Amino acid sequence: MLKKDKGALACLAFLAIVVLMAVAAPLITKLSGWGPYQFDSAATNSDLGGVPHGALGGISGSHWFGVEPQNGRDLFARIVYGARVSITISLSATLLTGILGVVLGMLAGFYRGWVDQVISRLMDFLMAFPALIFMIAILSSLPAGNRPVLLVVVISAFGWPYLARVIRGQTMTLANREFVEAARASGAKGTQVVFREILPNLRGSIVVMTTLAIPGYIGTEAGLSFLGVGVSPPTASWGQMIASSVSWYSVDPMFFAIPGAFLFLTVLSLTVLGDKIRTMVDQGVAA
Amino acid sequence: MTRYVLGRLGSVVLILLAVCLFTYLIFFKLSPDPAVMICGKTCTPDRIDSIRNVLGLNQPLLSQFWEFLRGIFVGRQYGSVHCPAPCLGYSFQTNESVWSMITARLPVSVTVAVGAAVLWLLAGVIGGLVSAIKQGTWWDRSAMALALGGVSVPNYVLALVLQYVLVVKLQVLPFPAAVSFVDNPVVWFESYLMPWVVLAVGYACLYARLTRSNVIDTLSENYYRTARAKGLSGSLIMRRHALRPALTPITTIFGMDFAGLLGGALITETVFGLNGIGKLAADSIAKNDQPVIMAVTLLAAFFVVIGNVVVDLLYTALDPRVRVVST
Amino acid sequence: MLVGLVASTALALSACGGGTTGSSGESAGPGAKAAQGGTLQVLQNAAYSHLDPARGFDGGVNNFYRLIYRTLTTQGAAPGADGTKIVPDLATDTGKPSDGGKTWTFTLKDGLFFETGAPITSADVKWGVSRAWDPEIGIGSPYAKQLIEAPASYQGPYKSGDLSTIATPDAKTIVFHLKKPFADFGSVVAQNTFTPVPKGQGAGNQLDSKPISSGPYKLAEYKPGASLKLVRNDKWDKKTDDVRTANPEAFQWTFGLDPATIDERMIAGQGTDADAIAGTIQAASVARIQTPQLKQRTMTGINGCTTYMGLNTTKKPLDNVKVRQAINLAINKQTVRDADGGSALAEIGTSIQPPTVAGRVDYDPYPSPDHKGDVEGARKLLTDAGFASGFTMTLDTRAQPKMQAMAVAIQQALEPLKITVKINTIDTATYYEVIGTTSQQHDAAITGWCPDWPSGATFLPPLFDGRNITTKGNTNLSQLNDAGVNAKIDEISKLTDVQAANAAYGELDKQIMALAPVVPLLYEKVLMLVGSNIGGAYLHDGFSGGIDLVSVGLKDAGK
Repeated sequence: MLKKDKGALACLAFLAIVVLMAVAAPLITKLSGWGPYQFDSAATNSDLGGVPHGALGGISGSHWFGVEPQNGRDLFARIVYGARVSITISLSATLLTGILGVVLGMLAGFYRGWVDQVISRLMDFLMAFPALIFMIAILSSLPAGNRPVLLVVVISAFGWPYLARVIRGQTMTLANREFVEAARASGAKGTQVVFREILPNLRGSIVVMTTLAIPGYIGTEAGLSFLGVGVSPPTASWGQMIASSVSWYSVDPMFFAIPGAFLFLTVLSLTVLGDKIRTMVDQGVAA
Repeated sequence: MTRYVLGRLGSVVLILLAVCLFTYLIFFKLSPDPAVMICGKTCTPDRIDSIRNVLGLNQPLLSQFWEFLRGIFVGRQYGSVHCPAPCLGYSFQTNESVWSMITARLPVSVTVAVGAAVLWLLAGVIGGLVSAIKQGTWWDRSAMALALGGVSVPNYVLALVLQYVLVVKLQVLPFPAAVSFVDNPVVWFESYLMPWVVLAVGYACLYARLTRSNVIDTLSENYYRTARAKGLSGSLIMRRHALRPALTPITTIFGMDFAGLLGGALITETVFGLNGIGKLAADSIAKNDQPVIMAVTLLAAFFVVIGNVVVDLLYTALDPRVRVVST
Repeated sequence: MLVGLVASTALALSACGGGTTGSSGESAGPGAKAAQGGTLQVLQNAAYSHLDPARGFDGGVNNFYRLIYRTLTTQGAAPGADGTKIVPDLATDTGKPSDGGKTWTFTLKDGLFFETGAPITSADVKWGVSRAWDPEIGIGSPYAKQLIEAPASYQGPYKSGDLSTIATPDAKTIVFHLKKPFADFGSVVAQNTFTPVPKGQGAGNQLDSKPISSGPYKLAEYKPGASLKLVRNDKWDKKTDDVRTANPEAFQWTFGLDPATIDERMIAGQGTDADAIAGTIQAASVARIQTPQLKQRTMTGINGCTTYMGLNTTKKPLDNVKVRQAINLAINKQTVRDADGGSALAEIGTSIQPPTVAGRVDYDPYPSPDHKGDVEGARKLLTDAGFASGFTMTLDTRAQPKMQAMAVAIQQALEPLKITVKINTIDTATYYEVIGTTSQQHDAAITGWCPDWPSGATFLPPLFDGRNITTKGNTNLSQLNDAGVNAKIDEISKLTDVQAANAAYGELDKQIMALAPVVPLLYEKVLMLVGSNIGGAYLHDGFSGGIDLVSVGLKDAGK
């Protein structure tokens, strides 16, 4: 079904390119000739505040996407390395929220009683929290440390309740079905029932929810970097690049346009694909 | 019903208390010492100690937390500085009571939130409805494609693009400034237009998709077909039997989204330089001004929790099935 | 003064001016003669820290205070060196020393009044000065407390009452008794802490919300963090004041504006923005102000501060002087300057003291072609020291884009020497607290220093006197404790001739740089655009290069 959809195919192709960039970043920058941290003072004009020489933000044969104002770092190399950061962080966060959300959601839905009470109140509490304010407040006052890991932990800590809520509801329905009753009657323990009988039946929802979460987390990572609490310099991330382009957008719009376009297209592609997968799962369930 | 409401309000207080305590504990260790802040650039360890004494910073954590809670109701004294009730703390970086900082900025955030909400409700619900009625046509397909795109634009990217095109290049709008409506209605409108649009786009697209699928679902349900079979007119059915059930879930989501925004649209306000709660949050985080961060977090949580309750009550009123269960 | 400087250049109207004022003097530019009257607009990102003169203490706020406060003496109102000359203000002269410079006597002029109409007496001056000892209030200029004798337990007039070491024999005379002789006390009484406050007033944060004016303007309206309006104080008599021209009828500040928005508004110059001044523009705006019309509205000069990287001499391997010298040689100051905004926004720093400091010698102890770094020379020094294979060091920097960009430039410059620089970002609020705490400080830190008045006395001793190292609030970031340097500092402090002392500090600068405890990076510049209707503007050396507010005005006040 995916094969017939040109839009979905285009999205898939774009994502493949981004993933390839991320995986092969060192190789690609060897080809393009500039590393992500390498300065090129000759490419910018110090007397004019560091604006890149040449049109379109200094796009040229040696700098394919132009250069960063002031220090002349190669934008192509930074986009390629930035893809690494965005993808690693969003995938790790998705994995962690997935595990937390599914396990806690199932436990709450299956055992009910005080387990459900504790987990549900925790979810209420976390969802009432102004997550963005809190995330940047925490990140900005924590010592630099290992930023990517911190980002993943913080994003996941506030992200899992949204998945857990859905999983809990579905588990509650499933727990009353005959096959679960049958498994119980045949003497299976609680945990066995949860992971052997219920989990496989949640596959569809989990796939849909997590695919749709990835673009959200890419956006969140970029947003946090945009607000200055993301990855620490000199590491490149798309959000960090957009943030540093803010003051330059009227003089050097390309500096903003390039990372902005990559971020937008990546999120769009993931959303479109997630949407398609959802339709497929829905129809599969209905059939 | 009254018991239900009271119970909900009780849980609101509990959650707010939990948010309060949690934030307090987290930032207690992480934030800079207010005594050092007050002490200024030419400070000696002795002076820091004497200021800590005056401010009660030497007391155990829990009694300080108790002081903070008490301050909300009866006000508080910080050395020679008095902070009247409701005292949410005192910012020693700006020399202002946090309460007055918040009340000065709340109108801006409310303006941003209300304007955006009106826009996204109108655009989202109408767009979704038209798409549902014209399901499968080119209008439906392009509207839904557009909605997917709209959901995917990070709002700061959209904000910067709009600012570049409309303000810098075409110069049809001024740089946003938090002008009051009374002073200059035209500049007021022009200033808030971009923030409204930027905030509304993401929500409008979500709502359009949601409305469309809800309406399509209801249109295919049995009672709708029954109503039709009874010979009721198209528009009446649409209003009474399709719209109402389709829009009830929207109300729920809208309540939550809107409440979330009242606590400040952090990114939008920051990008457009609007001095609302969101920008206050960003600024105080940048300065690590703990009392303000605390208060803003609390305020945002307050709106969300209250929003939750209102939505629940509204939901009960809108959907008779829930009413039976809850009473 | 420990500097909020580098961070605030783009934000505050901090300033400093300099001898190189762009177009002042030309009849059409901002230096043209200002008329009387009108409302001058000031667009600012950050609001002033404090309106209480005992609390605020930085170039921007010092400049602002002169509009509402007067002190015993003050700095001149003129571009260049005349601006840093101390002249009488409330007092009739710059003070009469006796007892070998340990006792100083000042006499007040006639016809001095507060905005309330009450006369300004010596008792009011004393009341104002003694507020500096209050632990909650006296957080600004430290000099009164450091120099004037006082009982150890004295905590200001509100808590401890009268301070017996300041005498007021009559309403016009005030006598200060110092701990030890101080030749330049005439400059000290120009500090904000020497502002008169009506006896009995000013407790708590009263003055932070409602200052009591002794200068040409008084507060009309103040919305903290948003706006501030000053209007003429009619109790101020021009005849008693040789310094302040005070042209406009009113001053209107708008705070909390985004720096990019300020630049856009200043470039456009529409409406009342023609009557506006603002702080230094952003690097991204430099390219946009190159048209002849805008150039005519541009003012620039250095801000009188030094941005430097302190090397912690107690950490290995930075305890080795050769390693520190190698770092000094290797750093590419061009890329550091580009990170700061390029040649329009900074000059390359070579000596510790910036060019505005009297007696400063221009020299470059660690030269390299075009200041791009001498990697080969550095490698040789490192090999001699036994570190040919490099090492890892941690560089503290503020969570602020410009500072981080400089840190990255340093990281890049040291990479070829196999020195791995780990950048440790500390949030702006706690930055000085952390790097000033010796136990928390890492190997290196980027920071800045501005003199409290342009003399070596307020620059080198606070940064390099080994006996000033404290566990908290330390300003000697390199923790240099060198017997030779300490001895020289003592020797200079005994000189009674201020000029000879300044010259000696110039030589001490070289002596310290031979030990390479810091890497001088930049002398930052102010570069500001003023509205087309602004006249009488020049950059003032004493206020971090800001436009002197007591002289600026509107060319056409009727517009």
